[in-house]
Amino acid sequence: MRLAELERTFQAHVLGDGEPAPALLDAVRAPARERLGIYAEAYRLRLIEALATQYPGLAARLGRAGFAALAQAFVRATPSRHRSIRDYGAGLADFIACAAPDAEVQLQAELARFEWALAAAFDAAPGQPATIASLATVAASEWPALRFRAVPALRRLATTTNAVAAWRAARATEAEEPAAAAPRAERGARIEWLVLRPALDTQFRSLPADEARALDRLLDGASFGELCGTLAAELGDEGAAALAAAGWLKGWIGEGALERV
Amino acid sequence: MHASLGFGLGLRPPHYAAILAEAPAVDWFEVITENYLVGGGRPLHFLDAIRERYPVVMHGVSLSIGALEPLDLDYLEGVRGLARRCEPAWISDHLCWTGTDGTNLHDLLPLPYTEEALGHLVPRIAQVQDFLGRPLVLENVSSYVSYASSAMTEWEFLTALARRSGCRLLLDVNNVYVSSRNHGFDARDFLDGVPVESVQQFHLAGHLDLGSHVIDTHDAPVRAEVWDLYAHALRRFGPVSTLLERDDHIPPLAELVAELELAREIARRTRSEAA
Repeated sequence: MRLAELERTFQAHVLGDGEPAPALLDAVRAPARERLGIYAEAYRLRLIEALATQYPGLAARLGRAGFAALAQAFVRATPSRHRSIRDYGAGLADFIACAAPDAEVQLQAELARFEWALAAAFDAAPGQPATIASLATVAASEWPALRFRAVPALRRLATTTNAVAAWRAARATEAEEPAAAAPRAERGARIEWLVLRPALDTQFRSLPADEARALDRLLDGASFGELCGTLAAELGDEGAAALAAAGWLKGWIGEGALERV
Repeated sequence: MHASLGFGLGLRPPHYAAILAEAPAVDWFEVITENYLVGGGRPLHFLDAIRERYPVVMHGVSLSIGALEPLDLDYLEGVRGLARRCEPAWISDHLCWTGTDGTNLHDLLPLPYTEEALGHLVPRIAQVQDFLGRPLVLENVSSYVSYASSAMTEWEFLTALARRSGCRLLLDVNNVYVSSRNHGFDARDFLDGVPVESVQQFHLAGHLDLGSHVIDTHDAPVRAEVWDLYAHALRRFGPVSTLLERDDHIPPLAELVAELELAREIARRTRSEAA
């Protein structure tokens, strides 16, 4: 068998996990079936293990068998197109959400989305976060035109379940430490989250709804002046709007969340 | 040929802090290239800090030199950029394919030992070497299957490849042993069949012996059969840079440093036998 056909037939066998094609059995020396099976099994185990590494909280919540069943179904449906195995598994939250939309499934999907955001922040580029000191030199007249974008590690997401509390509980169980007090959502209540990695450790915090809305506007490209204008219209108070916007901005800059555009 | 770096360990994240705190008796570290093709954060922070204290070698797992599609130039650009950052003594990957038509099976899959495969590999290796501006070092993989189309032994294939492409060889002594058991050849014939001047580095690792076949797990200490084979390799190839690899069930750093001492001891013994 020529090289091209050999690789394609071999790959189809590993991905398909069924009986090897007769042509492949002819191309591989005995004991072909048994030895090919080693590759097919190793492929599934390797990707399941990669998912467990990427989603430790979800794995702890589902338990060994439950997580293996979910991961196996995902691996079957999703061949890797990634150079590095740590990039495999981005679609797991959506894959989970496709199942029956009960409350537990929804929580698992949000938990997966949250863990993927943490993993993405972990080794993102540092970027060039704006600092309080660098903004101190900006003249007052230039403030309205200031624009910002997210540093590479920043992730914004929202939950409507207790996914983050579940993540904390699962991680704490794993470490045999008591779970830190976690804010618990009212059923269906939306909580906004901000994920950052200011130095080497990934951090996250919840955002009040008005702060989250303001941050998203800025990240969508609004200038600081435009943000103040929108806020003033909502609050009916220009002074209060400017004060709120300046306070939030100072906080985001202090956290290393934003780069100047 | 590069002077021997001595005795090294694969750099693994659980050991980052201990390496910096304890300055272990390790001559060099081998880093998995893909783990550091990232924007920033902990991996690059520790790579930079460890590189200040130790020589490093870059060892990739996804070049897929034997795949059908054209080489991934974005990936190679990343490898070149990382090499500028950490100035490795050399850059290695595996003689295998890892998937094809855009899919990655994240495994090191064996090639048939044919003229057709050599004809496919030689220009691809030349392209990588031109791109990186240095010889590529390729490692023999463990295999569980062999192909009816193979017209030569694995060592004849490696020899032809090294001579035609100018690539250098990373001999994984454990992989030689695993493949010898799985395919019924004498591991010493393999080592004796590889040209001395082409060998850049050795790997040592553990495996799982299932009787009917052997699985390369890289998750356990090196076994006695592989230490014997390593001694044979040292007698043939001389004091080649040696790297102890552990990919899973990673023990505390001190345990691997102690195991590395066994490699040093075998090298000392082999030298004094020869003297």
